[in-house]
This record gives sequence, C-alpha cells and structure tokens, in this order.
Amino acid sequence: MMHELPVDRLAETAAALPHASLAGLREAGRTVLARQGFPTTKVEDWKYTDLGGVAALSRAWLAAGAPVDEPDTELVRRAQAGLDAHWIVIANGSVLEAFSDALALPGIGVATDASEFPKPHGALGGLNAALVRDPVRIRVSESLTKPLALLVADSATASAVTAQVRVNLAVDRGAAVQVFEHQVSSGDEGHYSNVLVELDLAADSRCDYVRLQQRATAHSQTARLDVRLDRDARFDYFGADLGGRLARHDLAVDIAGRGASATLNGVYVAGPGQHVDNHTRTDHRVGPATSRQEYRGVLAGRARAVWNGKAIVHAGADGTDAEQANHNLLLTEQAEVDAKPELEIYADDVKCAHGTTVGHLDERALYYLRTRGIGRQRARRILTRAFAATVVDSAPIAGLRETIGDAVEARLRDIMAEIGA
Amino acid sequence: MLDIKDLHAAIGGNEILRGLSLAVGAGEVHAIMGPNGSGKSTLAQVIAGHEDYEVTSGSVQYEGRDLLELAPEERAREGIFLGFQYPVEIPGVNNAYLLKAAVNAKRQHEGKDEIDAFEFLKLAREKMAALGMDPKFLNRGVNEGFSGGEKKRNEILQMAMLEPKLAVLDETDSGLDIDALKAVAEGVNALRSPERAIVLVTHYQRLLDYIEPDRVHVLSEGRIVRSGDKSLALELEEKGYEWVREAANA
Repeated sequence: MMHELPVDRLAETAAALPHASLAGLREAGRTVLARQGFPTTKVEDWKYTDLGGVAALSRAWLAAGAPVDEPDTELVRRAQAGLDAHWIVIANGSVLEAFSDALALPGIGVATDASEFPKPHGALGGLNAALVRDPVRIRVSESLTKPLALLVADSATASAVTAQVRVNLAVDRGAAVQVFEHQVSSGDEGHYSNVLVELDLAADSRCDYVRLQQRATAHSQTARLDVRLDRDARFDYFGADLGGRLARHDLAVDIAGRGASATLNGVYVAGPGQHVDNHTRTDHRVGPATSRQEYRGVLAGRARAVWNGKAIVHAGADGTDAEQANHNLLLTEQAEVDAKPELEIYADDVKCAHGTTVGHLDERALYYLRTRGIGRQRARRILTRAFAATVVDSAPIAGLRETIGDAVEARLRDIMAEIGA
Repeated sequence: MLDIKDLHAAIGGNEILRGLSLAVGAGEVHAIMGPNGSGKSTLAQVIAGHEDYEVTSGSVQYEGRDLLELAPEERAREGIFLGFQYPVEIPGVNNAYLLKAAVNAKRQHEGKDEIDAFEFLKLAREKMAALGMDPKFLNRGVNEGFSGGEKKRNEILQMAMLEPKLAVLDETDSGLDIDALKAVAEGVNALRSPERAIVLVTHYQRLLDYIEPDRVHVLSEGRIVRSGDKSLALELEEKGYEWVREAANA
C-alpha cells in the first residue's frame, strides 16, 4: 500500500506556481513521486514513522485547490528580533523579499533555472521538486561576516496548508559560512512542510550549521539536510527538534575528501502526542577523516522518539575515526524510544565506536540536590536541563547558544508542566 | 540540638538500626565509629532524610522538632548538612550553580534576599582558597571527573558555604591522602562554634588526630555499645573492633 497523491492534481497545482522555467524540475518530481508514493511503515527507514496523516493532509490540500495562507509577518518579526544575521525568509514556500536582506548579497537568489538542481531523489525529494515555489540557491565564495539565517515561517490559519522548501548551498574553496536554519509555524489548521537543504562544501571550506525546529505542536514536517564534504572541509552541526506533532529529520553526510571532519550533534524534546524521528547517515568514502555524533532526547508523557544513526566506512577509507552516541531521558513510563546505531565497516584501519542509552533521572543525583536544600521539582528540572545542556553547549555558532539554550529550556519547562512534574 | 531515641531503621526490609539513642548538643563534636555494616552510614542517611530508609520506630528530634516529618530539602534549609561518603557526579550542572542554588534555597527559607552575585563569588573563592581548591572547580560539572580527594574537599566547600547548624560527615576521611585529610580537617575545625554541632562518622581513628571530638561512640549491630571521650578512639584503635563486640556481648 502506498500513500498516493493524485498526479493530475499535482500537475494542475504546479502549473499555477511561479517560475514556469522550473516546469521540467516539477515534472521530474511528479514522476518520482508517482512511482514511489509516500513511504509507508513497510519501508525500513520509515518503520516507526507513519506518513499516512501528512499524505491525507496533502491530498485534501490539493483537492481544495492548494490554498496558501497569507504570511504571518508577526511570526517573522518575532523570530528576527534581536538576531544580527543576513536573512532569507520563506513562508509557506514563498521567499518574502521584504524580510530577506540576504538576497542583496552576491551569489544568493531564487533560482529559476531547472538545470541548476540535481535530479529529485526519493519520494519526498520528488514531492519537493513537484511543488516547490521559490527554490533558493546560495553560493558563498567569500566568507560572510554574519550568520546566514534561513527562516522558515509557515502558517495555516484559514485552512490546511502544505509547503515545500528547497535551499541549495555551495561553499567555495577556503570560504566559511555560518547557517542558522530556524523553523517556526502558526495557526490552528493542519500544516505539513517538506524541507530539503543541500550543502556542498568545497576543499578547505567550513560550515557551522545550527538548526532549530520550533513548529506549532499541531503541525508536521519532514526535512532533509544533505551534506557533501571535500578535502579538509569541516562541518559542525547542531540541531534541536522541539516542536511539531510529527517531526522527521534526515541528515546525510557524505565524506568525499581526505582530512574532512564532521560533528553532528542534536537534541530533541517531545511531550505528550509528539513524534520525533532523527535519521542520520554518514558515509566515510575516504580516509583519514573524522565524524563525531551525539544526540540527546528528553521525552515526557505519550511521546515517541526514533533515532537511527548509520555510519558506513567504505572500502579503502582507512584512517576513519567515527563515533556515534544517542542518549535518552524518559521522564515518564509511557514515553517510548527506538534507538538504533548501525555501523558498516568495509575498511581495515578504522576507529569506530557507538553507544545508546535510555534511562530515567538519576535518583542519587536527585537526592544529592535535595540534601542541598533544592526542592524535588526544581531538582528534577535542573537535572533534566543538565542532561540536554551537555550537547546544547556544543552548538557551533557561539552567538546562538543562548537562543538555543533558552528555547530548549522553555520547551523542557512546557513538557514537564504538561505531565505535572 | 539532636536527640535520637531508640531508633529502628530498615532498608529493603533489613533492619540496620536496632534501638540507637544519641544526644548531640550545640557546640559539640561527636565521632561515631564502628566496623563496616554496623549502621554508621544508615544513621547519617536517616538524619539527612533518605527515602529508601524506613524508620520503623523511635524518634529523632532536631531543635525540639520532629525531624522525621521533614523532606530532605526541608532538613537542609533548617540547617542540616550531610557530607556524602560517595559524592554524586552531576555532569551539566556546574559547581557554582549548585552552590548558589543551595545557598539561595536556604536564604529564601530564612526570608532573606538572594545572595549578590559578586558577594557569592568572593565568598566561594575565599572558602576554596582555604581548602586548597583551584577556583576553576567552580565552573566544572558537580564532582564530574573529580578525584576522591577533590570530591571530599568539594563537600567541605558546600558545608562552608551553607554554614549548617548540624553537620553530619559520612566517612569524609576515607580515601584521602594526608594533605587532603588536613585540608578537610581544617575546614571542619573552622566551622566549630558554640552554636554548631558536628557528627563525624568514621571507620578510622586517624581523622580524630586532626579534629578533636568531645564524645566518641562505638556502633555495633545498629546500637551504640560504648561511649566515652576521645581516649575511647585510641583504645579502639589499639584493641580493634573485636574488643567492642566482645564487650557488647559480655
């Protein structure tokens, strides 16, 4: 059984989108999507995450004539307040020029030439290509002095909405860029967004990447970040999934050049009714190269988390040094985690380690804090925050650490309040 | 200050304390000695309020109140401090944060304002210098990666900052080299005052060379079987715990 979308409706909707020059890309997207359909839980990579709901929402949206809300500019202003960055703001799939000063920088703009994009890959890549409105292309030739902020600010107030976001970012040899991908949404109607970011790091280039997902808890998203690293390139990533009813993030890192290094850290917080799924894949194609990964999750109530970390050391990738870890803190018994590290090694001289844990708050630490005069509830909060803090503090863009820390802390407070802890 | 009468306490259905009575007055230092398994640590944990220990009978009065009614955090705010035998490592919570939270919890309970940030740092640095602790320990995770001696010094630092009325130190001397032992003893001695009581739980007499107790009690099988002045500790050191057991059974 596939979750199918009506192809004729997809074609009609695509015909009404801006940039007719992208028709070829959209058609290619429809073809891939029609062939594969939305992945079902029969597909290994989607075993625990059911896209039936977002497929139904998408069908209903297409049937209703693909309505799109007015952008929630208040939401945009709030997200932009107090952060010094070059902005690109995308609301329900459209770039908001008035809020996007980064469009004035060289090498950044909405791309209207279908040939600039690689062929759609996978069903969700197909969906993205089929319905993308304003794909953004960024080429960084010289290091930017401020972070580049990609703000995805969606809304669904009048009716249910789906939106596609596509950003293709290339960093030239020796250049450095800091990227802040921030996802927010508003409105009481259903919303499904499908985000695809591609990042190509040339030799000796560097990218610090922070992703903060704070969607409304009634909204869903699937998102993917594909990264390719050439020789001596460096990629430091931190992601926080805090919102959304269903949130899936795929992070794929392709280490294609010797001496490259990648750090992939993340935190997820899920309260009652939330489902958060992080899939990562690191391909070590050559060595020596290093990858480090640590994800931490905090779950409360009937929350569900999935972490799947795959590392593949290809034949000949000698000198690979790869570590993966995933730690989960369950604040209630009903919360559920499926954590799975997958290591495939086809080279000889490698150093690889992985580990996952699922546990509760340390009773000894709770008692210790209480004997210091700290009340039980406060002690629980301190320890929960501390559990997440060890990765939050690793976020690569120093200027964002406080923003991220505050967001994580606020969400932890919310879920603990929801379960009365 | 502390008045324990005929205390019976159990953990997981095993009775450990079997009719222990002890009175500690303000200004006094008492040493509780005894072989492993005699109930020394259980006594310390029952005073601090560990919920795994069940008090089955007897009473514990603290400043004329029923101590057993209070949660561990309430006891702490009322001036009771337990120095842990095995201080807990808490990664992600820095030492300064814990110290400040602990000091402020007590101040709030006493109706005082929160401690001024500058004042706090000044005080913490002073106390650390006196204990021979590097100020960088303030910014490390609580006890995270600390050596045994550093952990014990950190317990004494917390005690010094909290200025408890009743300090119970559970085997604070175990695993310490002589320098650390002296530093810890100095920290304890600095806290001696007519308003304060200190209970030292220890296996060895060694600590008492540096902290002179007013009273020494020997615990065996959950009961105090002998009490005396500091000479009892020396006698015990010489004759061994077997002597006490025999004396208790005689």
